[in-house]
Amino acid sequence: MVLEEIETSLIMWFSYALIPCLLVDGVAVLPAPQNLSVQSTNMKHVLTWGPVIVPGEIIHYSVEYQGEYESLYMSHIWIPSSWCSPTQGPECDITDDITATVPYSLRVRATLGSLTSAWSTLKHPFNRNATILTPPGMEITKDGFHLVIKLEDLGPQFEFFVAYWKREPGAKEHVKMVRHGGIPVHLETMEPGAAHCVKVRTFVKAIGRHSAFSQTECVKVQGETLPLALALFSFVGFMLILVAVPLSVWKMGRLLRHSCCPVVMLPDTLKITNSPQKLISCRREEVEACVAAGLSSEELLRAWI
Amino acid sequence: MQAQCVSLCLLGAMVFLCSAHARGLRRCVISMDMRRIEESFRGIKNAIQAKDTFQNVTILSTSETLHSIKPLDVCCVTKNLLAFYVDRVFKDHQELSPQILRKISSIANSFLYMQKTLQQCQEQRLCHCSQEATNATRIIHDNYDQLEVRSAAIKSLGELDVFLAWIDKNHQGTSAASRQET
Repeated sequence: MVLEEIETSLIMWFSYALIPCLLVDGVAVLPAPQNLSVQSTNMKHVLTWGPVIVPGEIIHYSVEYQGEYESLYMSHIWIPSSWCSPTQGPECDITDDITATVPYSLRVRATLGSLTSAWSTLKHPFNRNATILTPPGMEITKDGFHLVIKLEDLGPQFEFFVAYWKREPGAKEHVKMVRHGGIPVHLETMEPGAAHCVKVRTFVKAIGRHSAFSQTECVKVQGETLPLALALFSFVGFMLILVAVPLSVWKMGRLLRHSCCPVVMLPDTLKITNSPQKLISCRREEVEACVAAGLSSEELLRAWI
Repeated sequence: MQAQCVSLCLLGAMVFLCSAHARGLRRCVISMDMRRIEESFRGIKNAIQAKDTFQNVTILSTSETLHSIKPLDVCCVTKNLLAFYVDRVFKDHQELSPQILRKISSIANSFLYMQKTLQQCQEQRLCHCSQEATNATRIIHDNYDQLEVRSAAIKSLGELDVFLAWIDKNHQGTSAASRQET
């Protein structure tokens, strides 16, 4: 408890001791940020500077810019940066501020409450045509025989020049211009058995500069075996169809016949098992027997009368 | 002897005409993406045009000036109108809103870059100014001078879309082809 109190008062005395350092002629000032520089890669520009350190305090920074137009015609006009007025970190993405291919002056100052530092200006104005252009990333895929490329999305300022060729002596190099990255693009239909190679570079119209070409990548599609396998499968399939179609037609015919004209089965008692001639000769004998039986009853009747 | 002289003169005249025609074909084209500048202007167009109090007057006078410009005069008129905006309009306009100031700065600096590009054409003598081109520029300056400075500046800013569309239409073409060859 006592130790904590001593610690707090030490911190307070230390902070108060710093105040004379920040005072010049009785007026409190903040040191200006130093070592301003711009790093620019693929049209993304970042301004960085050495941070101003005041222990226990959070320093804010303001960034302002001035294009060549302002520096020539209205030098008193400085425009606050879109994203960094104010900002905390000792860096600022000024891509949205640098919108023309002319030299831009940049300046930064630190603020702490009501205290502000002097402006610190970039030593040499920055022109975006000095950006470092790197070879773009690319993804080559085969979609059957189709050669498809997908390029890195570097934003609307970038166009891509894709060079592709068949890897054989005397082959002609083709060039295709792709306006946007991030979307698969069909390059050509490949011939089986031959390798096809691709390389790409970017072009930025705003600064009239190309990047270097990317590493060449080559792909190959399978040659003889694929058509053979296809032929085999096709033959087997054809034979199956040749057998299956008549079979199914016959089956369908039978089904239709049974559904339209069904065959009714006789019960066993009505089934005639003997031959027709025998049946007729049997019947004749029965009739004679019946007739004989009929006469004897008539004679009987006369005898009574 | 006389016949030889005449034929030599005729040949010389033909060569001269052909070279003049070829020079006209080698047009001075600004190779830049106008869409970015048009986008910047679209963001502030309504705010700028709302401040224009003289709706019945036009400074660019497109029917008298821009629509009647021949292909050979495009470079000269573009150069003159860029100078008109850079030297007069942007300077005469006082903008307080930081958002609008950013867009106007973007357009002004882009115009400065376009002037530098055309400067190269001038050095190659591809940017000759005919009487028609000079007259068209004079009409625009006269229109601007007839209004009070602030009103004239705001009106000219409001007509930027007309100028940008005219540049886009007249400066298309050879840039992509020449890039592929390199």
